[in-house]
Amino acid sequence: MTTELAIQTIDLTKRYKQRLAVESLSLEVQRGEVFGFLGPNGAGKTTTIAMLLGLVRPTAGQALLFGHDVQHDPVAALRNVGAMIEAPAFYPYLSGRDNLRVLARADGVPPARIDAVLAAVELSSRARDRFGTYSQGMKQRLAIAAALLADPDLIMLDEPTNGLDPAGTVEVRELIRSLATEGRTIFLCSHLLHEVEQVCSRVAIIKAGRRIAQGSVRELLQRGQVVQVRVVGAVAPAVALLQQVEWVRGVQHDGDLLLVDAPAARAPEINALLTRNDILVAEIRTREESLEQFFLEVTEHTT
Amino acid sequence: MALHDGTFTGGTTRIQILDDVQVNQLRLQLRFPGVFGDVLGYVNSIGGVLAMVLAAAAVGSEYGWGTLRLHLARHPRRGRYLIGKIITLLLVILAGMVIALLIGSLLGLLLGSILGNVGSITPGDLLLLLPGILRALYVILPYILFTIAITIIGRSVLAGVAGGVLFLVLDGGAGALAFVPNLGIPLLTFIYYLFLQPNINALIILHRSSYGMDASAITGLSTEGLPPPWQAALMIALYSGIFFAYAYLSFTRRDVGGAG
Repeated sequence: MTTELAIQTIDLTKRYKQRLAVESLSLEVQRGEVFGFLGPNGAGKTTTIAMLLGLVRPTAGQALLFGHDVQHDPVAALRNVGAMIEAPAFYPYLSGRDNLRVLARADGVPPARIDAVLAAVELSSRARDRFGTYSQGMKQRLAIAAALLADPDLIMLDEPTNGLDPAGTVEVRELIRSLATEGRTIFLCSHLLHEVEQVCSRVAIIKAGRRIAQGSVRELLQRGQVVQVRVVGAVAPAVALLQQVEWVRGVQHDGDLLLVDAPAARAPEINALLTRNDILVAEIRTREESLEQFFLEVTEHTT
Repeated sequence: MALHDGTFTGGTTRIQILDDVQVNQLRLQLRFPGVFGDVLGYVNSIGGVLAMVLAAAAVGSEYGWGTLRLHLARHPRRGRYLIGKIITLLLVILAGMVIALLIGSLLGLLLGSILGNVGSITPGDLLLLLPGILRALYVILPYILFTIAITIIGRSVLAGVAGGVLFLVLDGGAGALAFVPNLGIPLLTFIYYLFLQPNINALIILHRSSYGMDASAITGLSTEGLPPPWQAALMIALYSGIFFAYAYLSFTRRDVGGAG
C-alpha cells in the first residue's frame, strides 16, 4: 500500500475511565516532512504517540502509519518506524553498545550500523560504559541512536532534547535537520518551541487531548501578527473604521496606540485607509509573535 | 548421640526420633542413585520458589526499566514476545536444574566418601534423570505461569513475587485437606483432587520412588490419598493452560505505558 501520508489519525480517542486523554484527534503528516507536535504537560502527546506505536489501544478512531492500521496490521505499520518515547529505556547493566546490539539482533540490522548510529549521536567514546552510569543527556542520545538503528523512514521523537546541554541541543537540532534532508519523516514532540520553530515545517498543538491549532509554522505565525498603529487623536473613529474591514480580526487600543490583529502585509493598506479618512498616523509597525508566544496564547485562551 | 542410628542416647535414657525405616531411607538419599531423587525433590521445593522470583524478575523488570515499551514499539507481536520470554525462562530454569543436579551429585560423592558408602549408578539410573528433570520442570510450570500472569497484571516484579508467594501459601494450605480422601466420600475426594497441591505431590513423590525410595517414610507423602500420576499430569496441564491464557490475554490486550 502506498500513500503520501506517513501518519494519519482519524478521530483518535483514548479514554481512561472518566478522563479523556485524547479526544477525536485527526492529524495528517506527509511523507518527508518534519512535523511538530506541541502541547502543555498532560495534553495527551505521549498517549498519542503510544497509540501510534500500538502500545496503547485507542478507545475509538484509527491510527495509520504509511496507510497501515496500527491496531489491525501493526507489523506492517511499524516496519519502517523508529521511535523514542518518554524517558530513555534500556537495560541498565548492559553497555550502550550492547543495548543497541540486542535491538540490532532483534531488528536484523547489521552490527556495522551500531557504530554508525553511535557516531551520529556522538556517543562512540562512551559506548562501552554501562547504561546505568550514563548522564541524562547520554541516555537521551542513546535513545535517539536506537530510534535510528533500523534506518527507518519515519522517526518519532518524544522530547529528544530533554536533559541535553545547549551544545547537545544544537547537535540534536542539526541531526533532525540532516535526517529531514535525507527524506525521512520526523514527528517531533517537544516543549522547546524555539527548536520546533527552527526545524519543523508544520505543527499541531493539542490541549486537554484536543487539537486546537494545526498548520505550517508560517501560517501560525501569521495568525499571531499584529499591526501597531499610533494615531493622532481620533482613536474611536479609527477603531470603528478598522473594525469594519473584512481582513481585520480585531482591534484593541491602549491610549493612542491601536493593536490591529491583521496580517503584517496589510500594514500599507491600513495606513492608506486611515489617511483617506483624515486620521493622521504618527507611527505604524508590524509585530510578529514567536511560535512560543502563539503557543502560549492559544493554550491559555482555549478551554 | 549416635546419629547413624537415628537416636539420641544420654546416660541410661534412649530417645529414638527416627525409626529404622526412616534411617534406611536417609541412607538411600545420601548415596547414589538416591541423591538424584533427593536433589530433584529440592528443585521442586526451594528451587520452585527461586524459579518464581526469577519469573517475576524476568517479566517485571521489563516494565520497571521501560524496555518492554522499547521492544514492543519495534516488534508489536506481543504473543510471540511473551512466548519467547517464557521459553527462555524455562531454558534458564532447566539449566539451573542441571547445575543443581551436578552440585548435588558432587556433594553426594563427597558425603558418601566420608560415610564410606557412595553407592553406585547404573545406565538406567542416568536415563531416569531425563524424565526426572522434565517432571521437575513440569511441576514448577503452573507456579511460574501464575507468577508471570500476576506480574503482567501488576506490571512490576514486586507484584509478581508477592502474588506468587501468596499463591504458594494458599496452595500449600490445601495440604491441610489431605485427610479428605481417607473419608471415603468420592465427591469430596474428586473436589480435593481439583486442587493443585495433591496433583503436584503426586508427581513430586515420583522423584524419590523412581530411585527405589519410599518418600512416605521421610516426607509423610504417600501415593495413597493422591491422584494417579496421569490425572495429576492432566490437572497440572489444565492449571498451566489457564494461567498461560490469563497471562497471554492480559499481555496482548493491556496498554503498555502512556498516561493512565
